[in-house]
Amino acid sequence: MQARLNGGRLRRLLLIVFGLAVVLVLLAPLTATDQADSLGLPQLVDRSQIRILTTVAMFVVMASGWNLVGGLTGYGSFGNVAFFGLGAYTCAVAVDVHRLHLPMGAGIALAPLVPALFAALVGLPLLRLRGHYFAIATLGTAVAVGEVVKNVDYLGGATGLFPPILHRADLLFLYLMVGAAMLAVIVSGLILRSRFGYGLIAIRENEEAASVIGVNTTAYKVGAFAVAAALTGLAGGIFAVWNSFINQDLGFSLDFNIQMILMAVLGGAGTLFGPVLGVIVLEFLLQNLAGRGDVAVYAQIGLGLLLAVTVIFVPRGIVDFFGGASRLSLAHLRRALRETGA
Amino acid sequence: MTALLSIDGVTKRFGGVAALRAVSFELAEGEILGVIGPNGAGKTTLLNCISGVARPDAGSITFDGHEIGHQRPHRIARLGVGRTFQIVKPFASMTVRENAAVGALFGASRLPLAGAFAAADEVLELVGMADKASQPVVSLTIPDRKRLEVARALATRPRLLLLDEVMAGLNSVEVDEALDMVRAVHRSGVTIVLIEHVMRVIVGVCRRVVVLHFGEMLADGTPDEVLRDPRVIEAYLGEKYAKRLQEAERDG
Repeated sequence: MQARLNGGRLRRLLLIVFGLAVVLVLLAPLTATDQADSLGLPQLVDRSQIRILTTVAMFVVMASGWNLVGGLTGYGSFGNVAFFGLGAYTCAVAVDVHRLHLPMGAGIALAPLVPALFAALVGLPLLRLRGHYFAIATLGTAVAVGEVVKNVDYLGGATGLFPPILHRADLLFLYLMVGAAMLAVIVSGLILRSRFGYGLIAIRENEEAASVIGVNTTAYKVGAFAVAAALTGLAGGIFAVWNSFINQDLGFSLDFNIQMILMAVLGGAGTLFGPVLGVIVLEFLLQNLAGRGDVAVYAQIGLGLLLAVTVIFVPRGIVDFFGGASRLSLAHLRRALRETGA
Repeated sequence: MTALLSIDGVTKRFGGVAALRAVSFELAEGEILGVIGPNGAGKTTLLNCISGVARPDAGSITFDGHEIGHQRPHRIARLGVGRTFQIVKPFASMTVRENAAVGALFGASRLPLAGAFAAADEVLELVGMADKASQPVVSLTIPDRKRLEVARALATRPRLLLLDEVMAGLNSVEVDEALDMVRAVHRSGVTIVLIEHVMRVIVGVCRRVVVLHFGEMLADGTPDEVLRDPRVIEAYLGEKYAKRLQEAERDG
C-alpha cells in the first residue's frame, strides 16, 4: 500500500532488478548441465547452488502466500505449513505407483486444490478469531493435521511416501519452482491492485468499518486464506516430487512454518516485493551460516534478534529502506544529507 | 407515501440491560432526523441495529422495502445505508483519497478501481477535504477525521446516512463548518439520521427529533416541541429542575 503510493519509481526499479534476477536464475543453470559440459561451456553453477535457488523460489511462494493473510489482511497465521504439507501429500498420493499413479503434472496440478478446500473449511471458524487467538488456533490446526496424516496408513503412516525419483531433473524442478514463485508474485500483485485487495487492507485496518462500507468480511478473509493455501500447496506439491520423499516432519515442518513468516515480516509484510526480498536475505544468511558447527547454533539466536530488531526499528520491513517512508530509508538519508549540504 | 426506513418495536438487550425498548418510528425519503438523549440512552445502539453491527432481539427494521433487522452489515451497506462511527475508524495506512475510494469500491456504489478514485475526489470536494486528498490519515486533525468518516460513508452512495456524533468535540467555528457540510450532503439528496449532543446542531438542521431515554422513545416531534416537553427536560436535567421550570412557566 505505502510502497505503491510513494514509490512508482521504486516499483519500476524493483521490477527491473527482480526481472534481471529471474532471467539470470533461468539462464545460469544452463551452463551446469551435462550438455553444456560436453559443449565445453564453463560450469557457472553447481548442483548445490541450483538446489539453493529452488529452495529460494519455494520460500518465495510460501512467504508471498503467507503475506496475503498475515500481511494484507492482518491475520497473523502460524499454521500455513499445513497447506504446504497437504499439497505435498496430495501430490505424493497422486503420483504414487501403489495409489493413484497419475503423471507428475497431474499431481502438481491437484496439489493446490486440497489445501484450498481445507482452508475454506477451517477458515470459516478460525477467521472469527483475532490476534493471539488466531495465531494459536492456526498453529494448533497445523500440528493436528500433521499428526492425523502421520496416523493414516494410506498416507504412508510414520514412514511417509516416496514419489518416483526423476534423475537429472534438477533444472526441471528449478523451473517449476521459479514458475510457482512468479505465479505467487503475479497473483499477489493482481490482488493488491483490485477491489479484493483494497477490501483485505480495509479489513486489516478496521474490520468493523470495512463491514459497514459493504465489504463481505467473511468471504474476503476466507478467500484470501484459500488463495494463500492454494499457492502454498502448489509449492508443497512440487517439493514432494522434487524431494521424492515426504513425511510428517518434512511436510509439516515447524522450521518452514516459522521461516516463511520471518521472511515476509523481515522483507515487508503487506507489500508485493517485501516477502521476495525477505526470502533472499534470510536464505542467504541461513545458507552461509549452516553447517558451520557452533556458528549455526548462534545463527538461530541471531535470527531471533534480527526479527526483534526488524519489528522494532523497521516494522514495515527491509522494503521500507527503499520506500522513503521510514527514517532509516535510503531516500530519507539522501534527503537529510542534501539538506545539511553534505 | 411509503417510508424509506421504518423501525417497528425494536428491542436490544445486553444481558439484563435493555439498550432499546420497543422503539418505533418511520423516516421518509429526504428527511433529516435528529436523535438525542442523555448518555446511555441507546442512540448508538439504534444506529448499530440499523447498520447491522448489532442484531435486534425483537422488532423489525425495514429499509426501502427490505427487512434488514437480521442482515449482515455489508448487505445493508449494499442496499444503500451508510454510517459513521462516533469514535472514528479510518483506514490508517491509507491516504484521505484512498479511504474515500475504498468506500466507492463497495457499498451501493461498487465502482471499478478507476471510477472509485474519481468518485472519491467528488465526495472529498463535497465535504471540503479536496485539498487534503493526498495526506495520510495520521496527519489529520480530529475535525478532519470526522469529515473523512462522512466522506467514506458518502462514497458508498447511500440513500440513508447515519451520522453518529460527527460534531462532538468540535469548537463553534468547526461546528458551523460541519453544519454546512451536513446541509450540503442533504441537498445532494441523502436522507440523514443524526445523533448529536450539541443542541445548536439539532435546531440548525433537523425539522424532526426523536428523544431516547434509557432505551425508550420519549418524544418524537419538531425540535421546539420536543425541547419543551417536560419529560424530555426531566430526562436531561432531572425531576426537580423540570418541576421548577414548569412552575416558572405557569407563573409566567
